[in-house]
Amino acid sequence: MTARKELLISAAVVVLFAFGPWLSPLLHLDVSIVSEVLVTAIAVMSVNLLLGYTGLPAFGNAAYFGLGAYGAALSVTYGHVHFIEAVLIGMVAALLGGLILGPFLLRRRGIYFGLLSIAFGQVFYFIAYRYTDVTGGEDGMQIARPYAGLPSAHVTVTDLGFYYTALVIFVIALFAFRTIVRSPFGRTLIAIRQNEPRVRYLGLNTDRFIFVALLISATMAGLSGALFGLLINFAYPLELDWHQSGYFVLSMILGGAGTVWGSLVGAFIYVIGKDIISTITQWWQIFLGALFVVCVLGFPRGILGTLQALRRRAAQQFADDDAHV
Amino acid sequence: MIEHLGPQLFNGIVLGAFYAIVALGLSLIMNLTGTINMAHGSFMTLAGYLAYSMVLRHVPFGWALILAPLFAVVVGVVVERTLVRPLYKREPFYSLLMTFGLSLMAEEAFRLIWGPNGVPFSPPASLAGAASLGFMQFPTFRIFIVGVLVIAIAALAMFLTRTRFGLRLRAAVQDSEMIAALGTNTQLLYAVNFSLGIFLAGIAGVLAAGMLGLSPTSGNALLMPAFVTVIIGGMGSLFGSIVGGLLVGIAISMTTLFIPAASEVAMYVLMAIVLLVRPRGLFGEEGIFG
Repeated sequence: MTARKELLISAAVVVLFAFGPWLSPLLHLDVSIVSEVLVTAIAVMSVNLLLGYTGLPAFGNAAYFGLGAYGAALSVTYGHVHFIEAVLIGMVAALLGGLILGPFLLRRRGIYFGLLSIAFGQVFYFIAYRYTDVTGGEDGMQIARPYAGLPSAHVTVTDLGFYYTALVIFVIALFAFRTIVRSPFGRTLIAIRQNEPRVRYLGLNTDRFIFVALLISATMAGLSGALFGLLINFAYPLELDWHQSGYFVLSMILGGAGTVWGSLVGAFIYVIGKDIISTITQWWQIFLGALFVVCVLGFPRGILGTLQALRRRAAQQFADDDAHV
Repeated sequence: MIEHLGPQLFNGIVLGAFYAIVALGLSLIMNLTGTINMAHGSFMTLAGYLAYSMVLRHVPFGWALILAPLFAVVVGVVVERTLVRPLYKREPFYSLLMTFGLSLMAEEAFRLIWGPNGVPFSPPASLAGAASLGFMQFPTFRIFIVGVLVIAIAALAMFLTRTRFGLRLRAAVQDSEMIAALGTNTQLLYAVNFSLGIFLAGIAGVLAAGMLGLSPTSGNALLMPAFVTVIIGGMGSLFGSIVGGLLVGIAISMTTLFIPAASEVAMYVLMAIVLLVRPRGLFGEEGIFG
């Protein structure tokens, strides 16, 4: 894709989302659902960085996502902080989680890494579940809408205000993500996925690269979690559960692993699809499970990945700069 | 509190035996094909519900304990041949994701068939009482559970070390391409190996239903401790799964006694300590799974 074409498509998507509040009623969707798409897409990006680009089965990102949600929830409930402060505290909480778990996860690759991510991630689930006095335990905790604007003004965020805040943050996150994966650092991550021993022979400390990728991923997941908590005004232990990690991975595969925009496409299908199916039938979990099976067996490259492959075949060109799992 | 130590230790061993047998099934499947079977808990639940339905129709508990896992194996073989098999050549996380989807579907299916809440499934009257072990009293059913699980583990060990098929299975874990080149039908190995894992899960599922309760999510509740067991014991080591299971079981029962609030987190702390000292787990072998 040429730079010009990419810029045009990106601009078109952003403009489309800028009119989201007017377009979503046409699809019978609440604007908060579209906010959820944007927020979820950031978490999917965090998985994409580790799994799609670096090749590490990131099945524990819900832990960072939940830490972000609880970081925001606790700081709003007990500290009465500003909206932006709550988001930042959520990100820091997730970053700390990554700093604690990183040294354990770094020791292993492949499915072992996935297993360790799942297992260690559950620790936070049980902490949130058990410390009922602080976190509300299984029932979760209600988050009051934090004030936005100046402290004296007592302005809280409206649904529409939240939507545009989420859109701006999403665009910044997407741009940062794109910059990271196209940088020499991101290239090294792709190289690690393709052949880690070779990268090490080149004299690079792959552990260090993976650790930094993990921290970036955790922080992004925390950002997403904090926004999600503030969106639904609620934090609950299942946000930290490994099922949630699985949904993020599924969304990543749906959109296209190792593609910049795949995260948004995947989050869009997952969130909107779940919303529509759950209004039709209460047995939506069967459909969700079937989506996993069908997607993995029949559609492993995802939508953008498949499109890319088709285009590449048409153009008879083999060198592309984006990665596939 | 000290007088509870003995019974609680025994409870820990019973719990640990469950974790060990679930972890053994997971390890068997993981070692040969690199598949992390997230649907393992669903097969346990399936066997539990099947046994429940059989006992309702006056099938003796002993028969249900054999037949229900066998039915689960039939389902397992169909799943393995049609859904898991195409993924053997792909990155392992695809099969993890696929079996995760299966477990979601299964959970909802159990809810549809047997209802969203737990069902009462008590052991037969002959196993209901308590037996004296000389120095203290134990529920007979728990002693029975330990007996069955020990027999199952011993039978598995005999099968793997004393039969030609078991020999081929272990060889295929080392190098399945070479075994295929020497004329062994590796696809048959994969299917039988998967069935073995599911059979163990099925037995554990029926017994766990009688002791820990039966609900659409009851099998999945044992899955996470089994993962931790595999990690503590060391991936690639079946012996490690047994030792790891007992360690996890005892750790959980001891913290339940002394620090109840930390009972769920205890096994993760144990896992972290083991990994700090031995990054591959207690009996993990060099070179297996990085």
